[in-house]
Amino acid sequence: MRSRFVHRAALASLALAAGCADSSSGPATRLQYVDPAGSGWRLVRDPASTPERLVLAIVGPAGLNTRGVGFNLRAPAGVRFRKFESSGWPIETTGVYELGNLDPCPPGDPYPPPNCVDPFPAEPVLLAGGVKPGNLLTVGIFQKDRRVSPKPSGVPLARIALDVDPASGLRAGAILPLEVLKAKYSPEDIGAFSPTPTQEQADKGHGVLFTLAVGTLSAR
Amino acid sequence: MNFTTLRRLAALAALAAPLAAAAASPAALPRDVQARIEAGRPARVARVERQLRASATAMGLGPADALVADSSFTDEGGRTVIHLVHRHAGARVLGSQLVVHVEPDGTTRTIGRGLAAGIVLPGGPTITPEAAAAAARARLAARGPLASEPTVERIVFPTRFRSETFDPALGRSTVRRGSYASAATGLAPFVWAYRVHLEVRNALDGAGEWFYVVHGDTGEILRTDDLLRRATAAVGTGDGHFAGQVTLDTSLMNDGTYALLDTTRGTQPNPGLVYFADDGSGWVPTGMQVWWEEHDGTGASTWNTFLFQGNAANAWGDGQPLDLITYGNEASPNGQTAGVDVMVGLRTAWDFFGHVFGRSGLDGNGTTASGTAICTGFTQADNAWWSIGSHQGFFGAGTWPRFDDGVDAATDLDVVAHEATHGVTSPSWDRYFVNGAGYEEAGLDEGTSDFFSEMVEIWAGRAGGDPDDAVPATPGDGQIGRTFLRTGPLRWFDRPSKDGRSPDAWFDGMRYMDGHFSAGPLNRALYLLARGASANPADDTHSVYLPAGMTGIGNDSAARIWYRAITEYLVPDLTGSLTFDDARQAALDAATDLFAAGSGEVAAVEDAFAAVNVGPAHGGPPRVKVSFAPWRGVDWISLQYTDGPTRQFLPRGENLRPRVTVENASNTDVTWSLGGPSMWNGAEYFVQAGGTIEADGTWTTPYQMGWHAVTATSVADPSQFAEGRVSLINMDMDSDLEQDATDMAELSYSWYLSNGLNPSHSVYIAPWVDDEDVSAFVDALRTAWPVP
Repeated sequence: MRSRFVHRAALASLALAAGCADSSSGPATRLQYVDPAGSGWRLVRDPASTPERLVLAIVGPAGLNTRGVGFNLRAPAGVRFRKFESSGWPIETTGVYELGNLDPCPPGDPYPPPNCVDPFPAEPVLLAGGVKPGNLLTVGIFQKDRRVSPKPSGVPLARIALDVDPASGLRAGAILPLEVLKAKYSPEDIGAFSPTPTQEQADKGHGVLFTLAVGTLSAR
Repeated sequence: MNFTTLRRLAALAALAAPLAAAAASPAALPRDVQARIEAGRPARVARVERQLRASATAMGLGPADALVADSSFTDEGGRTVIHLVHRHAGARVLGSQLVVHVEPDGTTRTIGRGLAAGIVLPGGPTITPEAAAAAARARLAARGPLASEPTVERIVFPTRFRSETFDPALGRSTVRRGSYASAATGLAPFVWAYRVHLEVRNALDGAGEWFYVVHGDTGEILRTDDLLRRATAAVGTGDGHFAGQVTLDTSLMNDGTYALLDTTRGTQPNPGLVYFADDGSGWVPTGMQVWWEEHDGTGASTWNTFLFQGNAANAWGDGQPLDLITYGNEASPNGQTAGVDVMVGLRTAWDFFGHVFGRSGLDGNGTTASGTAICTGFTQADNAWWSIGSHQGFFGAGTWPRFDDGVDAATDLDVVAHEATHGVTSPSWDRYFVNGAGYEEAGLDEGTSDFFSEMVEIWAGRAGGDPDDAVPATPGDGQIGRTFLRTGPLRWFDRPSKDGRSPDAWFDGMRYMDGHFSAGPLNRALYLLARGASANPADDTHSVYLPAGMTGIGNDSAARIWYRAITEYLVPDLTGSLTFDDARQAALDAATDLFAAGSGEVAAVEDAFAAVNVGPAHGGPPRVKVSFAPWRGVDWISLQYTDGPTRQFLPRGENLRPRVTVENASNTDVTWSLGGPSMWNGAEYFVQAGGTIEADGTWTTPYQMGWHAVTATSVADPSQFAEGRVSLINMDMDSDLEQDATDMAELSYSWYLSNGLNPSHSVYIAPWVDDEDVSAFVDALRTAWPVP
């Protein structure tokens, strides 16, 4: 009887030392994420994650070329979406998409760079995001210049970051449902520029809605 | 803004330290002493340059940097005022400068707003000056020819000074927000650039003069400054011979006739006239002169101008109202009447600044000032304006009596003196007040012109026994543009709001107004400083901000204080950063120089500015202050003036909550209202009051796009309020009834498609999508739904 009691106490000490306390025993300090199954559009844990900050990357299906992607992701209270220092936005590029214009001259400018009549720089770019009411992250990254080629999208295309709001009272062990309300990518085929408006062109401008798979998020 | 402190420049503390003990030099020194000090000015300039060189490293300057004296003068008290520009690798660093005062005893004081330290900018611009000029010309998109060849100067440009140009006709601006000039975007704090000067005067484009700052590598337009100083459209009583019977200084020409060319005023050629070839007539570009604009038989300008000349009798004008019903009579005696009025106005202003303040000409350097009368085509007949680059005033012919409801010629003394004062405050391309809506500096510019116009009028009306080196104590008419409209003056000094547009006192957000109206508080402050304020609430000089009133110090003292303030303290840095707080401090510094610290005049300056809600009254507590502070880490209404008058974008039809700051009050509550005081009487017709706003400040923005204003008023002190402006845009590019980041898909698809394919995809109401839409979209997203 006595030895059994000692054995239980030793196990508890071991668990605490490993940081795996009883899931309902204390406030959460970090997030844990298990990637979703499947090979379609999905949010996967990024190696840039740290104990304090979970970084997720959006990955597309292999073989698909796109020109940009955006989505709206809702997280429960206690989970904070964070900005990246590199971009100042809640989204960070992985460098796959070419965000600037292809050259400093507008499309159709008769003069070669850098001497076009109305030159402009790469900036500003379509990389932006925010957190709307209801803890709804909305982010997007899009190539703005149709002269830039579409990019293979079966790789990490952009990152977002989350952490635990220490003031939220979130308890360790809680399962935190993530919900994708909308996701859209800009397809490879955006048609040739035509001075004559067509319905096809108008449709292509809207982009392609898709299902974005998310994994399991929990508090630790 | 502390004018006596050079932030970041600890090394200059040693240079500035003796200033505390430096004796003020208010009194004019004997002329022989002045001359002796003046003779030593070059040596003092060289000494200051040496001292600054020795402190360069500590100031954060590198081996490629230099502070170079650009101009200097010695005032009547013996103080040498030196203006130094910062050059890096030989190129001017825009917005980086120092003003150094050297007192007769050798003590030195620096007046600065901070130098651009730590410039790392190897190499030079990669595009050619010709390409920069081409970029500027493309932006200008002039339909007619340029008035002169573009001039291009290589400069170093601090990117925080980038700005935008707003085109009210299009209802949109060229957005170049500092928010994307960040490390993340790769835009360095300093870039090589070109400063391109362009000028037009033709039938297709009207009159215009601009500086464009062009990125030295990309050709992007980083900044645009309008150099014309236009007065508001108005004319006067219609008599047409405002100056009455006068004696004119003219010139006898080679053919034996006479011209309105006064070679007694002006020792340096007029920069706008030096390009004219010598025609052998005896004409020279040096000497005050008045020209006239030619029209064809229909009244349209031919865009030719001619000197008033060929007058055999040397007798000018007929004293009658300018009557252009019969075009072609511009050089006739009736047309000459306008020339006479302009000449009298220019020379009176010239003589005023010369006699009262010892100033050489308007620019302080004797540069010839010139005027052009009977203008109809340059911009419009009912107007007057000043060109900084050409140091010339242009004065409209008016549209009356051609039209019954027209306005009179813009040639009365107060109009001409107002424009001529711009030649004092903005004497050259290297020193001028930025005068666009969005800058408080614009109100300071126009207010200074209004105030000295009034002083010129009073001085011109002095009695025979009055000295000509002082402004008489007699009251003026307290009006500007009294003859313009033929129905009443354009503006009042005692209570500027009598015009229905100008504010009587400062409020946060006033800078959005046209400078002619945001001038109201400065006009009133200087008027009250001179004339006093009544304690009677029924009196037009009564101020709720100074209910007990004040005693004025007289015209002469007020004029001397403000002249010293604008010439020795309130030095523009070409970025539009001067504020009314700066103006108050400059006036206090000037008053302290002239009348000593603790004097009644210094107290009067405090009270006069307090009466227009700028700073506390003498001995009084700090004021409650309401302001739209940066909101959630970004500018709510672009209060950071160093970024220029960029505008804040927000989405339409969303619930947003602006943040306002209340200082100096324990109760920081405010009441909210839609619209703003700058919209009085439709003054800012393009600004709207829309949506609904709750007691807690939650603003449901309307679906109507464009400029909207909200106002926050202090509960603790309802006389204190602030107006915030934003531009509402449509972010729902894909028309799915949600404004979110996925709408950028549509933006990217439509980028630079200009065939009208996607008119609904612009964030504005325009059938194209370009980088302005991109900037506006991402800015609005950042502001509306920021991430902590």
